[in-house]
Amino acid sequence: MADITLPPQSRGPDLDIGNEQTAGRLGKPVFVHWLEDLGFDPQFGPFYLGFWGAAAFIFAGAFTFIWLMTMLQQVNYNALAFIKYFAVLQLDPPPSYYGMGVPPLEQGGWWLLATLFLTLSIFAWLIRIWVRAQTLGLRPYLAYGFTGAIILYLAIYIIRPIIMGSWAEAPPHGIKGLLDWTNNVSVAYGNFYYNPFHMLSIFFLLGSTLLFSMHGATIWALEKYGAQEEEDEIEAPGTGTERAQLFWRWTMGFNANAYSIHLWAFWFAWLCGFTGAVGILLSGTLVNDWFQWAIEAQINYPQVAPPPVVLPPQ
Amino acid sequence: MAVKVLDWARETRVVGGRTIDEIEADFRKPGNTMMYRIFGFDLFDFWIGPFYVGFWGLVSMFGIFFGSVFYLYGTVILGPYSYGQNFFAGRIDPPPAEVGLGLVPAGQPGYLWQMTVLFATIAFFGWMMRQFDISMKLDLGPQVAISYGIVFSSWLTLQVIRPIALGTWSEGFTLGIMPHLDWVSNFGYRYNNFFYNPFHALAISGIFFTTFLLACHGSAILSGAQSRDPNVVEHINDYWRDIQGYSIGEVGIHRAGALAAGGSILLANLCILFSGWPVQDWVSFWNFWNTLPFWSGV
Repeated sequence: MADITLPPQSRGPDLDIGNEQTAGRLGKPVFVHWLEDLGFDPQFGPFYLGFWGAAAFIFAGAFTFIWLMTMLQQVNYNALAFIKYFAVLQLDPPPSYYGMGVPPLEQGGWWLLATLFLTLSIFAWLIRIWVRAQTLGLRPYLAYGFTGAIILYLAIYIIRPIIMGSWAEAPPHGIKGLLDWTNNVSVAYGNFYYNPFHMLSIFFLLGSTLLFSMHGATIWALEKYGAQEEEDEIEAPGTGTERAQLFWRWTMGFNANAYSIHLWAFWFAWLCGFTGAVGILLSGTLVNDWFQWAIEAQINYPQVAPPPVVLPPQ
Repeated sequence: MAVKVLDWARETRVVGGRTIDEIEADFRKPGNTMMYRIFGFDLFDFWIGPFYVGFWGLVSMFGIFFGSVFYLYGTVILGPYSYGQNFFAGRIDPPPAEVGLGLVPAGQPGYLWQMTVLFATIAFFGWMMRQFDISMKLDLGPQVAISYGIVFSSWLTLQVIRPIALGTWSEGFTLGIMPHLDWVSNFGYRYNNFFYNPFHALAISGIFFTTFLLACHGSAILSGAQSRDPNVVEHINDYWRDIQGYSIGEVGIHRAGALAAGGSILLANLCILFSGWPVQDWVSFWNFWNTLPFWSGV
């Protein structure tokens, strides 16, 4: 009987995706070799632009141009003043007087236009990362994950202002303006700490940081056993993944595996955006006072006076 | 690559993986703990169910047990409402400011807080040391225990270091589920506006960035997990280069994730520590910016 020699591969034949995957790439790779000593990949580029990439950059450029120019106008195009006041300059949405109507450019029209371009840019980017994944033979999970952030963005900037009937409900574009909006929305609806969806969003935000701390450190600690080669370890777990699993089993009585840890990761990060969107959509629409809501839900008690605010000695 | 994988490590890969019993049979061996290395023996070098015990597990259990007793006694048993309600609303306040850095005798206000914080600190420290022990047993590097130590440092900053810096235990935070949210909320307004605290802003940005990285990493691995293509890892690298010009690599993403998570928590420690000591007001803190000499007059 003749010897049958199988090719030494575990994953089946290479799928020929065709040369469309290299078409449209711009530039040549540039190598920064010292990055390798830190464990990071040394290669930069090439970069793929494509139709949706070009659309995303053009729309993002239009948003940035309007945003920066309206703020420059506020400081009479003085470059030094622009740098000095950059963090406090802001492009405000239309005042509530205009409701859902179209205001003059100087009365929030620029904000509407900028937000339109920002939204178009975000969706062009979503299509770009979706289509590019398919071209390379990958499932578009990155695009799925991006929807978590997009839902939160749409809830804050588009959907809730429409429900409330006023673009003035949306945050301004600007660093201090965004921070103030966040602070004010909490005060206006009776303290966001009592909003259960805000609690969930914070839980998933801090939980994601904890998860990446645990997962990143575990794999970093097992590099010499090849635990970082996760696509291989998912299909055929070796000693690296076994040690990682035993570490958490022995520490907390429970462990994920090389596949499921990335499901935990994906859902924790996605739910941070989604639960945040639910929390903001309920505020001012169905719930006007989260403190009162917490009393009615019996997780906070009206009998207890809130702790006094003690001002520190000056 | 700068990172070398042991030659035999890849050969241990078994398609579909081994059962937990097979794995445990290989690794559940006595020895190679901290106590074993120092004294040559370790009385607590055993497992209970899936849990490893060890000397530091014993220390941790001691802290967890007494910490839980004091905490549940103070919040649930002594709370003003039904036990179920007390679980959320019950509170243990730190000692009054007159106590300073002194110890509160049993039964006085603040005693339960000091006891709970003491035993919780023992529990957290024991848990961290136990992670070092388990890491040694399985030949992991110390990264997980160090990461846990960074979280532990936040507890120490809030409950020990900052109160000592300000000279009174009353600066520690109130224990309890809803009361600790009130404490955080009040803490922000007490220093005028915490959104203007630059270390708070950096820490929040770092935590958001870590969550973003986690979404990217989780989805990148899932996107290729069902692929039958032997070059799937190269395709994932190409994908990141295509859409953003750079792929950090499978070693780099785990290091970057652990560093981003730990770094943002260390920045969060600073934002707490600098509030009240030395900065009293995060709004007027920014006066220095407006009075810098090179743009006076604009």
